[in-house]
Amino acid sequence: MSLVADQISPAVIDSMHQVLTPEGKVVGQLPDIPDEQLMQFYRWMVFGRISSQRFVALQRQGRIGTFSPIDGQEAASVGMAAPLQQKDWLLGSYREYLAYHVKGVPFPAQVKQWGGDIPDDYPAESRCVPFQIVLGTQVLHTVGIAQAIKYEGEPQVAVVGCGDGATSEGDFNEALNFAGVFKAPVVFMVQNNGWAISTPRHKQSAARYIADRAIGFGMPGCLVDGNDVLAVYQVVADAVARARAGDGPTLIEAITYRLGAHTTADDPTKYRPEAEVEEWEKRDPIIRYRQFLMDRSMLTEKEDKVLHEELNTEFEEAIAVYEALPPRTPQQHFDLVFAEQSPQLQRQQAKLLEALETEPDSGVNHDSSLMPL
Amino acid sequence: MSLLIPEEVVSKKDISFKVVDDKPADRIHRILTPEGEVIGTLPKLSPAQLVGFYRWMILGRFFSDQMIALQRQGRMGTFAPLQGQEATAVGLAAPLKPEDWLVASYRENISHLIKGVPLLALMKQWGGHFADNYPPELNAPPFQIVLGTQTLHAVGIAQAIKYNNQSHVVVTTIGDGATSEGDFNEALNFAGVFKAPVIFVVSNNGWAISTPRRKQTAAEYIADRGAGFGMPGCVVDGNDVLAVYQVVSEAIDRARAGDGPTLIEAITYRMGAHTTADDPTKYRPQTDLEEWTKCGPITRFRKYLINHDMLTEAKDKTLHEEVEAEILSAVKEYEAISPPAPYQQFNQVYAETPSQLQRQQTDLIQDLNLEAVSRNGSYA
Repeated sequence: MSLVADQISPAVIDSMHQVLTPEGKVVGQLPDIPDEQLMQFYRWMVFGRISSQRFVALQRQGRIGTFSPIDGQEAASVGMAAPLQQKDWLLGSYREYLAYHVKGVPFPAQVKQWGGDIPDDYPAESRCVPFQIVLGTQVLHTVGIAQAIKYEGEPQVAVVGCGDGATSEGDFNEALNFAGVFKAPVVFMVQNNGWAISTPRHKQSAARYIADRAIGFGMPGCLVDGNDVLAVYQVVADAVARARAGDGPTLIEAITYRLGAHTTADDPTKYRPEAEVEEWEKRDPIIRYRQFLMDRSMLTEKEDKVLHEELNTEFEEAIAVYEALPPRTPQQHFDLVFAEQSPQLQRQQAKLLEALETEPDSGVNHDSSLMPL
Repeated sequence: MSLLIPEEVVSKKDISFKVVDDKPADRIHRILTPEGEVIGTLPKLSPAQLVGFYRWMILGRFFSDQMIALQRQGRMGTFAPLQGQEATAVGLAAPLKPEDWLVASYRENISHLIKGVPLLALMKQWGGHFADNYPPELNAPPFQIVLGTQTLHAVGIAQAIKYNNQSHVVVTTIGDGATSEGDFNEALNFAGVFKAPVIFVVSNNGWAISTPRRKQTAAEYIADRGAGFGMPGCVVDGNDVLAVYQVVSEAIDRARAGDGPTLIEAITYRMGAHTTADDPTKYRPQTDLEEWTKCGPITRFRKYLINHDMLTEAKDKTLHEEVEAEILSAVKEYEAISPPAPYQQFNQVYAETPSQLQRQQTDLIQDLNLEAVSRNGSYA
């Protein structure tokens, strides 16, 4: 008899939810979504891919700052944001910018943030806060927002995205615990893309699934094919409904893959076998969804081409808006930290102004060479 | 390891948000009922060892009572009573070999004593002296006050053991409240990934100062956290010294064999206050305490020993007299020590005092001298 091994905690997860196979075949119950919205999912996903690839090119040309590609994660991003109502909240890391786009953050506002500019024009009614760079802290912010929603007696929910790497931060676990105890109306969406920069998933945690973390915090855990936009949509929609009904938080793990680099400052060929990437390219979320739409006669090759052209134009227009912005002065970033600036910051701001007067070329303009890696 | 999800995991089933309802009542490992009746397989322990466990438990109880009394008289600093948690403290330390490590919080004083730490060392730490006479060869660093940080230290030590190809293991203890600290979860994760030879024992005593367990986490059991970090999670009756001993022994064997860490939740009850600075009558119903007193670890084990002719009333009385004498003699020894000079604390932080601390120490000595001069004397 083994006292210890026999007592391994009951596992939450025994299956991964999937609606579309990598070949685009329907294997699950389709969500009840009108064709028009199904097409919108596709548009968003293609826009994600186009923008990600164009952002990388712009960074290489020195026209924006460091960027983190989302190639391969479009389904997870769209599926996590699409079920939300306008007054719901969405918080994410830098890898969820496409989700923000779906939620209604104007694209030029996000371009500014990638450009190293101050994200001061996220509209308040979008109920998204500028994407977080610090690992995992947005998860705590979201639980705070969810608690506020509850105190106010409002029917909204808050959804938060983070990566597999950030789940090892104490902050993430504290957020889960707090949400569990107070039944906060929050949905935790882990985009497990297999790699935290160069750390592979199996070195990130010994858990079979990150979603197995849920039971230890008293909430349901759910595993979903993150490259299947319909499956992600369904699971998030259910979790959102649970939260809205007062049944508390849910932890969702979306299994996806980062086809690109961690950021433009990373080279994954140094640590990742090419064969693995090729394997995941076969499971590309856009290819599978495109096939599904074509099989249902909702999309033709020709329409797809037009759609790509439209989205390319949309992206270039946003870049033109961004590049026409007057250059921001470095001292302005002090104005965006607190509602009322603290005396310490005032002093620092004055000091910087003084330095800039003595050395006028020390960092005005969109100079990406000044961006940290 | 392939990043692809194995095919058998991919399911076309409806989404299920149900937490698997798989918590049999017997999930809590127990050998002795609160009435001292044997309901499990007894561990292989000699009568002398069993009576030894009992002696440690009553010594712990008397030590705790004595420390509270001393604190009330102004003869001791703040103390965290351990009444009710004697079985957990004894059961988790008894299976350790001399070279194994014990990295404990402030509530597991008996564990430290079993590991060989002198009573005087513990009293000095509680008295606000330096924790400078923990013999290093005991592999038991001074008990930790900061919540949960000892679990990170324990994982670090366990990793060092592994790097050095040694066969030792580390047992670390933590309360239910500290399991909500990010640090604890980071420690679990790290230990899981690197299969560190460490055993996490959560002394779940029901209360984190005034926060009851059900407000601490929504998990059914804290041990359920194990699955999310890739290690077994195990629940044991923390008031049953034999059950705790058995579970910890097995987890130690696992760790020593290279099978990695284990999370053990020992369910017990803090019969006293959080510390001498706390008054639990302000937040805790008296009936709870009465209920738990019936399950007390000492009463139950005493019944078992008497029923199995390992203890008599007379022998019990002698044992009590012995441990009382031992504690009182340690108190005498403690009180004969003069308190350290305040500036000496700087010497206890690093092996070599860094220049910043040296400056602070010089400043303090100067201040103390000035004060002494202003009182028309000189500083001792």
